[in-house]
Amino acid sequence: MTTFLQTLMDAISVGSLYALIALGYTMVYGVLRFINFAHGDVFMLGAWFSFWVTTKFGWAGEGAHPSIPRALTVMAIAMALCGLLGYLIERLAYRPLRFAPRLNVLITAIGVSLLLQNTGQLKYVFGTENQRMPTLLPATTLATVAGVNITLIDVIIVAGSLVLMGVLDRLVYRSRMGMAMRAVAFDPHTASLMGVNVNRTVSATFVAGSMLAAAAGFLYATKYPNLNQPAFSTWTLLGLKAFIAAVVGGIGNIRGAMVGGLLIGLIEQFGVAYSAPLSHGYITGEFKEIYVFALLILVLLVKPSGILGRLTVEKV
Amino acid sequence: MALTLTGCDQQPQQPAVTGGSPVATPGEIVVGQYGSLTGSEATFGQTTDEGVRLAVEERNATGGIKGRKIKLVTYDDRSNAQEAGTVVTRLITQDKAVAILGEVASTRSIAGGRVAQQYGVPMVSPSSTNPTVTDIGDMIFRVCFIDPFQGTVMAKFSHENLKLTKVAVLYDKGQAYSTGLSNYFQQAFKEMGGTITAVETYKGGDPDFSAQLTTIRNSGAEAIYIPGYYNEVASIALQARKLGIPNSVPLMGGDGWESPKLAEIAGEAVEGCYFSNHYAPEDERAEVKEFIAKYKAKYNGVTPGALAASGYDAANILFDAMGRAPSLSGADLAKALAETKNFKAVTGLITINKSRNADKSAVVLQMKGGTPVYVATVEPPKK
Amino acid sequence: MALLEIHNLDVHYGAIQALRGVSVSVEQGKIVTMLGANGAGKSTTLRAVSGLIRPTRGEVRFDGKPIHNLPPHRIVEMGISHVPEGRGIFPGFTVEENLQAGAYVRKMSHGEFERERGRVTKLFPVLKERLAQPAGTLSGGEQQMLAIARALLSKPRLLLLDEPSLGLAPLIVQVIFRIIREINQTGTTILLVEQNIHMALNAAHEGYVLEAGSVVMKDEATKLAANDDVRKAYLGVG
Repeated sequence: MTTFLQTLMDAISVGSLYALIALGYTMVYGVLRFINFAHGDVFMLGAWFSFWVTTKFGWAGEGAHPSIPRALTVMAIAMALCGLLGYLIERLAYRPLRFAPRLNVLITAIGVSLLLQNTGQLKYVFGTENQRMPTLLPATTLATVAGVNITLIDVIIVAGSLVLMGVLDRLVYRSRMGMAMRAVAFDPHTASLMGVNVNRTVSATFVAGSMLAAAAGFLYATKYPNLNQPAFSTWTLLGLKAFIAAVVGGIGNIRGAMVGGLLIGLIEQFGVAYSAPLSHGYITGEFKEIYVFALLILVLLVKPSGILGRLTVEKV
Repeated sequence: MALTLTGCDQQPQQPAVTGGSPVATPGEIVVGQYGSLTGSEATFGQTTDEGVRLAVEERNATGGIKGRKIKLVTYDDRSNAQEAGTVVTRLITQDKAVAILGEVASTRSIAGGRVAQQYGVPMVSPSSTNPTVTDIGDMIFRVCFIDPFQGTVMAKFSHENLKLTKVAVLYDKGQAYSTGLSNYFQQAFKEMGGTITAVETYKGGDPDFSAQLTTIRNSGAEAIYIPGYYNEVASIALQARKLGIPNSVPLMGGDGWESPKLAEIAGEAVEGCYFSNHYAPEDERAEVKEFIAKYKAKYNGVTPGALAASGYDAANILFDAMGRAPSLSGADLAKALAETKNFKAVTGLITINKSRNADKSAVVLQMKGGTPVYVATVEPPKK
Repeated sequence: MALLEIHNLDVHYGAIQALRGVSVSVEQGKIVTMLGANGAGKSTTLRAVSGLIRPTRGEVRFDGKPIHNLPPHRIVEMGISHVPEGRGIFPGFTVEENLQAGAYVRKMSHGEFERERGRVTKLFPVLKERLAQPAGTLSGGEQQMLAIARALLSKPRLLLLDEPSLGLAPLIVQVIFRIIREINQTGTTILLVEQNIHMALNAAHEGYVLEAGSVVMKDEATKLAANDDVRKAYLGVG
C-alpha cells in the first residue's frame, strides 16, 4: 500500500512536469503542424535560467533560505526569459521557413536544438558541469499518509501545473487570442481573412509554450536540484518523453497533452516500482524508458491519433 | 599546428599541450591523453588531467626521457564512450602518440582501449577498475586495483566494521564499472553471511530514482550500496533523503564517488556515507606528502583527490617504463610496463601483475562535513 | 471615386503569370461580378484584394487608400471581408464559434456580439437552430450560408464572394442569391465571382469578363447578358 501510494504521488508529480512540457509541443504542432524539437531545450534553459537568476540574486549559498516569494520571482523571470527566447526562435528560425517544405523546418528545429544546447554549455553561459540548484522551497513534509511523505515541493509542482494548465485552457478556449490560435490551427489563410494576425498568433503560441516549459524547468530544478549540463542526455530524454506524452494524448490537442503527461508519469513510475518484485529481479529500473516507448507503440497501433486526438478533418 | 589539434572547443581553457613548446619539435615524444573534461563525469577527466600534467612538467624539468621532452596531447571525450574511441584513433593516427593515458570510466577505457590495442599502442588507465578493461589485450595496463577486489573491500567493511547484515544495491546498468562492482559486492557480502534486500538499477542520465528508492526503502535495508558515478549518486542521495530514508542508513559506493561535486550537490544528503578509493590524502608516506605539496603549489592550494593521484601515478609509471624500454615501439614499451615492480607511487606500492593490473591496497573514506575522510585501509588478498 | 479600385494588376504564382494588367472598379453600393472560365484569374483577383497574395505590379485602392501591400488582417480591419472559394469554414468549430471568429476584428462584448449575431442570422434562420453543432456536419448550402454570415459579422463595407453557388442544388442557389441581393440592399458593396453566369448577371449591376488573366469585356450586367459573344461562350446559348 505504501509503495502504491508513494509511487502514485511520484507519478502525478513527474507526470505534471511532462504535461507542462508536452503542452508546448502540442500547441506549436496544432498551430503550425510541425514538431518544434527545440522545445525540450527551452525547458532545459528554463531550469538553468532559474539557477542563474537565483545565484545572481545572491539567493544561493549563504543567502539561501527558502521563501515562496523568491521562488515565484525566480519562476516569473525564467518564464519571461524563455518567453522571449521562444519568440526569437520562431521569429528568426521558423518564420522565414513558414512556406518551405516540412523537412527544411524539421532540420532547422534540430539545428536550433543543437544551437541552444551548445550555447548553453559554453564556459561563459552555464558551462559543462552540473550545478546544484539552490533551495528556494522549504523541504517541508506537509503530511505523512500511510507512510508516504507528502512534501511541499510535490504539492507545489502538482498545484502549480494545474493552475498553469487551467490558465492555458482558459486562454485557448475562452479568449480572443485563443480563438485566433484555434482558427490559425485550422487554416491560417482563412484565419487571416477573419482579421487574425497570423504572425502575431504564431508568436504568441511560441511564447506561451516556452513560458510553460520554463515553469516546468523551474519546478523540475526545485524537485531535482542536481542540474546536468545543458547538452546532457537527461534533457533530451525528458524532452522526448514530453513529446511522447503529447503524441499519446493526441498531438495538437491541449487536453490530450495533459492526459498524456500524466499517463507517461504513471507508466514509468509504476513500471519501475513493480517490475523488479513482480519479475523476481529480472526486470529492473533501467527499463523505465521502455515502458514509455511501449505505451507509445500501443497507442499508435490502437488509436494513431492519440487518446484525445481526432483524425485530421480534411478541409472542405 | 598542435593548437589546431586540440579539438575541444568546449574547453578552451584546457591547454592541449603541456611541457615543451606548443609546436611539435622533432625530438619530442608524444604521449596522448583522453578523458572526460566535460560532460556528466567532467571532474573525473579534469582532476586526472591535473595529475598527469604535473607529472609531465616534473619529468620535462628533469630532462624528459633519455634527453627527449614529452609532449602531452589531450582530447576531451565529453563523457561519451563513442567519442572516446574516436579521440584515441585521432591520438594514434594523427598525433602519432607512442602511448595513451586514460580513461577513468571503465566503459570509456574499454572503447579507447580497443582502439589502442588494435594499433599496438600501449595504454595505461589511471583508475578504471572494471576487470574487462585489461582483458582487451597485451597493450592495455592499469595502475589501480580492480573491482572484484574493490567490491570485496566494501562488503568486508560493511560486514566487519559497520556490522551490517542487510544491504540493498542500486547500480547503473549502462556502465560496466557499476554492474561489475555491484556483482562483486553482492557476491562477497552474501558469502560473509549478509543479505541483499533489494537490487535495483538505473540508467545514467535519468534524473528520477524515486520508484527504485521506494522499493529499497520498503525492503528494510540498513545501508544502500550505490557503485555509480558521483553525478547520479548525488541525485540519488538527495532523493533518498527526501523519500524519508534517514542519514542513519548510509549510502556506500566505490571510487566513482570521487568528486568535489558530490558534496557540492548532495550536501547533507551524503553526510556520513562511505566509499572505497585508491588513496587517502591523510597517508603519511613520503610520496604522498611530496605529491600533495607539489599539487597544492601548482593548483591554488587544492588538496588532490584520488583521481589526480592516479593520473599522476599512471603518467609516472609510463615514463618509468619509457626510460627502461630499449625503444619506444609498442612492443618494447608494453614489455617494460609489464615489468613494473614495487614502484613507489602516490596511491601505494605498485606492481603490475600478469593480468596487467596493479596489486595494491584500497582505502575506505567517509564523508564528513563535505570532505572525504580516511577511515580504514583494506589490503589485497595474499596469493 | 469608386469604393474599390484595382488598377493594372499583375500577379505571379512563381514563374506563372496569373493576372496581366487587370483593372476593375467597384462603385459603392453595387454588386459587381467577374465572369470567366476556370483559371481566368477571377479568384486570384479576389485573393489579391484581400491580401492573400501580393501583386507583382499595379495597385489596389480601397476608399482611395492603397491596400495592396497590407497583410490580410489589416485589410479585414479596413472593411473588406472575403468568403473564399470552398467556403473556408472551420469544420471543428461549432457554428457559434465560426460566427465568433467572423466577429474577431470587432472586439465586441458578449452582449454586442449576440445582438450582431441576431442581426445576421435573421438572414439565415437555419443557422440559428444549429449554433451548437460542429460546422463540419452542416450541409453544403448551410456551410455556404455560415461562411457568408461569418463574413458579415465583421461588418464589411465590401464583401468578396468567391463562387457561392459552387456544388449547391439549384434551389439552394436561388436562396443564396436572394440573400446576396438582400445584403446588397442593406448597403454592402459586393464583388462576386461566379461560374453560374446566368444567376450572377441577374443579380449584378456590372460585370467583367476575364480570359487568361486579362479583362476582355466590361459592361452593365444587363448588356453583358444580352451580348452574343457572352451568350455563346458562357451561357451556352446561340
